[in-house]
Amino acid sequence: MFSLRKEKTTKISIVFISLLALLLLLTACGQTESLSDKNTTDPSNGENSVSDATNNEESAKEQVVKDAMGHEVKIPAHPQRIIASYLEDPLVALGVKPVAQWSVGNGQTVQDYLQTELQGIPTINYDLPPEEVMSFSPDLIVIGSESLVQNGLYEKYAKIAPTYVLGDEISNDWRKTLLKLGELLNQSDAAEKMLQDYDQKVKEAKEKLQNAIGEKSVAVLWLTQKQFYMVDETRSSGAVLYGDLGLNPPNLVTELSEEAKATWNPVSLEKLAELNADYIFLVNSDKAQGDITLNDPIWQGIPAVKAGHVYEMSTSSSWLYSGLIANEKIIEDVLKTLVK
Amino acid sequence: MSFHTGVAANEEPHDKGKYAGKVRSRPFVASVVLLGGIAALVLSIAASISVGAADIQLATVWEAVFNFNQDLRLHQVIWELRFPRALAGAMVGACFAVAGAIMQGMTRNPLADSGLLGLNAGSGFVLALCFAFFPDLPFLYLIQYSFLGAALGAGLVYGIGSLAKNGLTPVRLTLAGVAVSALLTALSQGIAIYYHVSQDLAFWYAGGVAGTKWIQLKIMFPWVAAAMIGALILSRSITLLSLGDEVATGLGQRIGWVRAAAMIIVLVLAGTAVSIVGAVGFVGLVIPHIARYFVGLDYRWIIPTSAVFGSLLMVLADIGARIVHPPYETPIGALIALIGVPFFLYLSRRERREL
Amino acid sequence: MEPLHFNSREQRRKIRGITVLSVFVLLIIIMFAISMNTGYIRLSPLDVIRTLVGVGTERQEVILFDFRLPRIVISVLVGVGLGVSGCILQSLSRNGLADPGILGINAGAGLMVVLFVAFFSTNAKAPVLFLPFLALVGAGLSAALVYTLAYKRNEGLSPTRLVLSGVAVTAGISAAMIVLTLKLDPQNYQFVTVWLVGRIWGANWTFVLALLPWLLLLLPYVFYKAKVLDVLNLGEQIATGLGTAVEKERLGLLVASVALAGSCVAVGGGIGFVGLIGPHLARRLVGPQHEFLLPASALIGGFLLIAADTLARWIMQPYEIPTGIVVAVIGAPYFLYLLAKSQT
Repeated sequence: MFSLRKEKTTKISIVFISLLALLLLLTACGQTESLSDKNTTDPSNGENSVSDATNNEESAKEQVVKDAMGHEVKIPAHPQRIIASYLEDPLVALGVKPVAQWSVGNGQTVQDYLQTELQGIPTINYDLPPEEVMSFSPDLIVIGSESLVQNGLYEKYAKIAPTYVLGDEISNDWRKTLLKLGELLNQSDAAEKMLQDYDQKVKEAKEKLQNAIGEKSVAVLWLTQKQFYMVDETRSSGAVLYGDLGLNPPNLVTELSEEAKATWNPVSLEKLAELNADYIFLVNSDKAQGDITLNDPIWQGIPAVKAGHVYEMSTSSSWLYSGLIANEKIIEDVLKTLVK
Repeated sequence: MSFHTGVAANEEPHDKGKYAGKVRSRPFVASVVLLGGIAALVLSIAASISVGAADIQLATVWEAVFNFNQDLRLHQVIWELRFPRALAGAMVGACFAVAGAIMQGMTRNPLADSGLLGLNAGSGFVLALCFAFFPDLPFLYLIQYSFLGAALGAGLVYGIGSLAKNGLTPVRLTLAGVAVSALLTALSQGIAIYYHVSQDLAFWYAGGVAGTKWIQLKIMFPWVAAAMIGALILSRSITLLSLGDEVATGLGQRIGWVRAAAMIIVLVLAGTAVSIVGAVGFVGLVIPHIARYFVGLDYRWIIPTSAVFGSLLMVLADIGARIVHPPYETPIGALIALIGVPFFLYLSRRERREL
Repeated sequence: MEPLHFNSREQRRKIRGITVLSVFVLLIIIMFAISMNTGYIRLSPLDVIRTLVGVGTERQEVILFDFRLPRIVISVLVGVGLGVSGCILQSLSRNGLADPGILGINAGAGLMVVLFVAFFSTNAKAPVLFLPFLALVGAGLSAALVYTLAYKRNEGLSPTRLVLSGVAVTAGISAAMIVLTLKLDPQNYQFVTVWLVGRIWGANWTFVLALLPWLLLLLPYVFYKAKVLDVLNLGEQIATGLGTAVEKERLGLLVASVALAGSCVAVGGGIGFVGLIGPHLARRLVGPQHEFLLPASALIGGFLLIAADTLARWIMQPYEIPTGIVVAVIGAPYFLYLLAKSQT
């Protein structure tokens, strides 16, 4: 009798599990609306859309190059559907629109300063899930850092479209990035000209700033999640201010740069208390949460803050990013604030 | 030293008055230890204040406390940053330790601890919900939700543990705690990923008292103080409870009320501490044992001693968190676990009959 | 009359065993199908069948064979490995609450994985193939640690102490992992925290290739020892009396269990509970004879994990929640239920 009861519960559990499985099966089949449909109408039914090369119209301009990781990549002559996540700045500068743009939190955060050019372009999450990438049917994928293609991701992207990895050495330097992308898109001359124009702008701005503030020092801070970050001397807005415009960095920046591994390095309020900058550019991502941190007496005691020389940059500005367009905007902002 | 006193479970209480004396208590040793502990605590708070991104001399610290000069940058740093942090560490350590002591006494389970019994995970779960649905909740409310979470976790663990036939053995409680923690942690992470609050939750999980502000301490203090006073008031009853339910009832204790009050105190203490420092366990496990080793089994001494030792441990751990890998802060929970785990192992080997 | 009666009970047991095994094979196949259907890009079941047969478009082939299939295969393999590992542990320790996760084995493997990731990139093929071996070493070390800590000279191995030591070692190693990562490799901090929850992080054919040999080696060995496990369950004295070299067999099986758990965890992250629930359910369905218990644990474990993984990929599209979360959410309540009903 005991075994009979056991068998009954056994049968019941088996039936239950099978029903569950069947239910899941039906649910999966019943998915009428799929997220991927919004990205592209699938032209692949019957057609070979995983393209290695455009049909040989202009095969003269098609390139076979080696990327930073040693992969051989066949770049199409006229790529129409590019995905170059976080590289939209140089892309837009070269007049090319990607088929999907970088975002965090699936559309929550995008590069606001580029939105006039990128409006309407659907977003893709920064970690580039392979299926999402495929749903856009790209014909060229450009990736900035090797670390984004670890764990066998490169092979997956390569199966979708030719995938070129710039490598950290290039992607950490916006000029090299612009030039490389120009090369890949057959616009090397345009890219070089843009750099020359930029250098000219920098020269003019530098003069104006020399006359305006002379040797005074400038700091760039980012406040987010109640934590302050300081930019690395050689990256993002740091590179523009200290490298290009020749402005003086304050004491902390040079200290931090030795230990720095990231573009933005956390700096405690304690250390900030020692900041001797004359001017502070602050990107305040905590604006919505109110100014608790900015009311802190230590912050208020910093000389630049006391003198009222803190300039808040909006979070939709380009100060957190790096690239030709971003840098030009940063220079504009600096001139606007410091040159009266 | 066995956890139970010289009273065997089946001995008949023939003289109620004798029991107070039979509980091994060493008032003299206890006072010495307590005073010594307090002295050590003050020193370590001073040390905590002087260690940091810029090491400050003790003389400056002294001046800042007694001769505060608002314009001096160092004084500002001491008052606004270092002092609240050190005090927070002390308060949090005391809370965890006393909560653990009460739990251990009340349940006669030497392995009771807020981390192991799911209180931390419960708070974490409710806090994840808060971060997700009420993003800018003032600290006062966060504390209250933290209590609820701790209550949820503890309730689940105790509830399930006691459903079993042989009742609440320490092992069963530990296992239930592991499972409930795993469940609530997994749920928290799922919520965090879906509602994009992983960053906030990660900071919380890492644990630490850095960045504590005076206002948070001010909010915390009344709750903690009330709970501590409550604990001291209840200490005698807890001592009796720790001797066994029958003994306690025999001596006229109303177990139900005592248990309920003690549980509320534990939740207040653990919940408050967790809302400031994050998911830190093992303090409530280790400290009561050390306290018992020095002062005997009288909870009137165990509770204050645990508080002092708990504060000491936390403040020292906080200093450690700054020293291990400057300028980054090492999660304090990890550091304490590195101490707590070997101790836990030692304990698990020691217990005989109770397991 | 006696032999006849015994035979029919035997027969009933065998029939039930085979039925259960077949049902779960079927369930796994169904789950496979559902899983292949699940993903950001919609593939109808017809497309799936056509692609499998070879007449799908190239795009569909890429989606199926390069994106989805490796991960699905890994989830089944890991589930199988963990299920069998848990079964052995439960039988050897005669404790229904044993599981490689609880006993600290997963944590040890995890520590090795974290160190590996800190020092090597996971792009080169060779180091990745080496990974399960490293994880195995780590798992072995922590298992040895737990064993030593739980063993007392006079009293031997108490199941309670085993579990407590396991919990402690897991907590300690997890803490150590966090501290180490912060010192060595802060960029990968996120990776460690996700790994601790349990996530199938290596989802391509290289990882499958890395895991498969271990399973192909260890599973036959373990199944071969089914009868030995039955005998060991009868108790030490009886086993020795029946001529089994108890210590040697125990050690061999323990090593196999640790190796299975370690190599699975290397690829699948710190997923707990599978090694617990699989054998438990298996025991209730097919009884305690290892001839069926082992394969049943394997199949149930495999089914559990593939179902959990599919759910993890489907439930919050287009995000993927780590598989470990789904397993924990399903597994922990069941474990608590077991705990509430247990006798020890």
